[in-house]
Amino acid sequence: MTGDVASAEPPAVELDAVSRTYTRGEPVYALDDVSLSLARGSYTAVMGPSGSGKSTLLNLVGCLDTPTAGTVSVAGEDVSTLATRQRARVRGQEVGFVFQTFNLMPRLTAEENVALPLVFQEVAREERLERARDLLDRVGLGDRTDHRPSELSGGQRQRVAIARALVTDPAIVLADEPTGNVDTETGERIMGLLDDLHAAGNTILLVTHQRAIADRAERIVRLRDGEIEGIDQVDVEGAA
Amino acid sequence: MDAAESLRLAARSIRGHKLRAALTALGIVIGIAAVITFVTLGASVKAEVVGQFDDSPANRVFLVATPGDDGGPPAALSQPVFTEYDVGRIGEFEGVDRVVPRGTIATSALSRGGETVARDQVTATTPALFESVTFREGGAFADASSGEACPAEMAVTPSAAALFPGNLSVGDRVSITQRGNRTRNVTVVGVLADDAGLNPLAGFGSRPRFYLPTCAYDTVVTSPTTGTRQNVYPQVTVIAANPGDTAAVQTRVQDYLDTESDAAQLAPGSYEVSARTNEDIVERIENVVDRLTQFVTGIAVISLLVGAIGIANIMLVSVRERTKEIGIMKAVGATNRDVLQLFLVEALLLGVGGAVLGVPIGVAGGWVAVTYAELPLTLPLVWVGAAIGIGLVVGVVSGLYPAWSAARVDPIDALRYE
Repeated sequence: MTGDVASAEPPAVELDAVSRTYTRGEPVYALDDVSLSLARGSYTAVMGPSGSGKSTLLNLVGCLDTPTAGTVSVAGEDVSTLATRQRARVRGQEVGFVFQTFNLMPRLTAEENVALPLVFQEVAREERLERARDLLDRVGLGDRTDHRPSELSGGQRQRVAIARALVTDPAIVLADEPTGNVDTETGERIMGLLDDLHAAGNTILLVTHQRAIADRAERIVRLRDGEIEGIDQVDVEGAA
Repeated sequence: MDAAESLRLAARSIRGHKLRAALTALGIVIGIAAVITFVTLGASVKAEVVGQFDDSPANRVFLVATPGDDGGPPAALSQPVFTEYDVGRIGEFEGVDRVVPRGTIATSALSRGGETVARDQVTATTPALFESVTFREGGAFADASSGEACPAEMAVTPSAAALFPGNLSVGDRVSITQRGNRTRNVTVVGVLADDAGLNPLAGFGSRPRFYLPTCAYDTVVTSPTTGTRQNVYPQVTVIAANPGDTAAVQTRVQDYLDTESDAAQLAPGSYEVSARTNEDIVERIENVVDRLTQFVTGIAVISLLVGAIGIANIMLVSVRERTKEIGIMKAVGATNRDVLQLFLVEALLLGVGGAVLGVPIGVAGGWVAVTYAELPLTLPLVWVGAAIGIGLVVGVVSGLYPAWSAARVDPIDALRYE
């Protein structure tokens, strides 16, 4: 637990003075003293040129990587010092990934792909397939549950991936360039889906290099050379 | 992750590469099949050989002189060391009913009228051999002792009789060509009821046999004790009067053989002159067959090892190919243990699958080999069960390193992997 805000729920994600250094001959600061808090239900976009530390930030929040310094908390739990096994648990329960390249399991059907995170949470087969079908319904693929990824279009695959990210009801959905591999029209539909998720109360962290996409979020964190260059509020509903 | 799901996922990825999986499992199929084939053959040979001895009465003590105490073939190499003097002495021992010496006479051919059959040996023995045996026709030849003229008589087994067109029968005159082109004319006096070896030391199965009295025997030596020229036999069977005394008779005979016998003095230094009961001999033969079986099975195990390396190899390729899938699974919450389990189960399926296919092929192979060797089939059921266990172990052992390396894949690198 970082911060001891009395009764309030902890933020979905909190980064406190986080640095991530890679040693390749000399130390490279992929992320340098970054502090950021994502409230529950918020929608944040991270922008920046390649090499700015976007992916590192995502990997740290997603418990795929550990910080060199500082603390990362997900749903109130300090994940920066967790053992490998515990990080796998946090990934399975609190984090939902949506990747640019979809990253579906090629031999599994749509519903099995969506249900996959629940396999590692020991949820019974019937129950997890039922939840998977519910979520596929929600993303408009209720009639494609038995299709393999190779039988689906790019947009459909990404919607399967989004359904998979939601199946464990995570504290945070991490979307890494979710529209990078689909055409503009399909991208628009995917962004619409993310809007819906946000409206339904999900916390979203979106990484993109397109301003138009980033503008769909509530605020934009601009990264450059591993540091936060600035945070812009994109206020549509007039709240800040 | 529960076992059912890891089985399902592993089976799914095996189905994704059917041909590859089939070829990988083939290594195990061949290994297991080879092991089962050889073990079946070994068990069948053993059952047959031991069965022959179990049929022979428990009151027999077999005397042989064989090279060393190496558990080698008990009778085939027996040397002629037992003189008439030894046979006579043993026959007077307490508890001994009768003593049957046995030797071979080298021959080149047997003929009846114009019909000639090539044979390299006939057997010389005493009528005592036939005391508890039934004849199909006729009976035993006369006793050769008491210095009378050697009876020109012969007894034959049914298969020996069948060597001549229209069978040999009592009253037929047969001319035997011996070593040095000497010819001996004899009359068939008896045809045995069946072919079963009268003395298991003489070999197994139903080989044709011609029996002549010992006076026709031509291997002689000077007895060290009496100083006279006497017949000397490679094999002697001592029959105890009472099966319960067999062990006592064996001890008495062995003591004699070790001390005052001609055999002890005639046997070459490295030879062991011994009195053995059925049990001793069965044990020795079992040892020989076991050792042979172990040797051949060892070779089969090597092919199993090659199969295991095949699985390890293909699993390593599979881990590399599926690096990205490993990354995905880890990103959605798979622990290292889950990934390890998944790949281990896959290797295990290949191993067990190979074993399950290999068992029937091995049994079929064993059946073919046993049929070819004209033996009754004895299935070593323990091994059939063990084969599945071996497949399991092979799968786990060969999958361990690949699965471990899969578990260690870094998810960040794996997700970037194309």
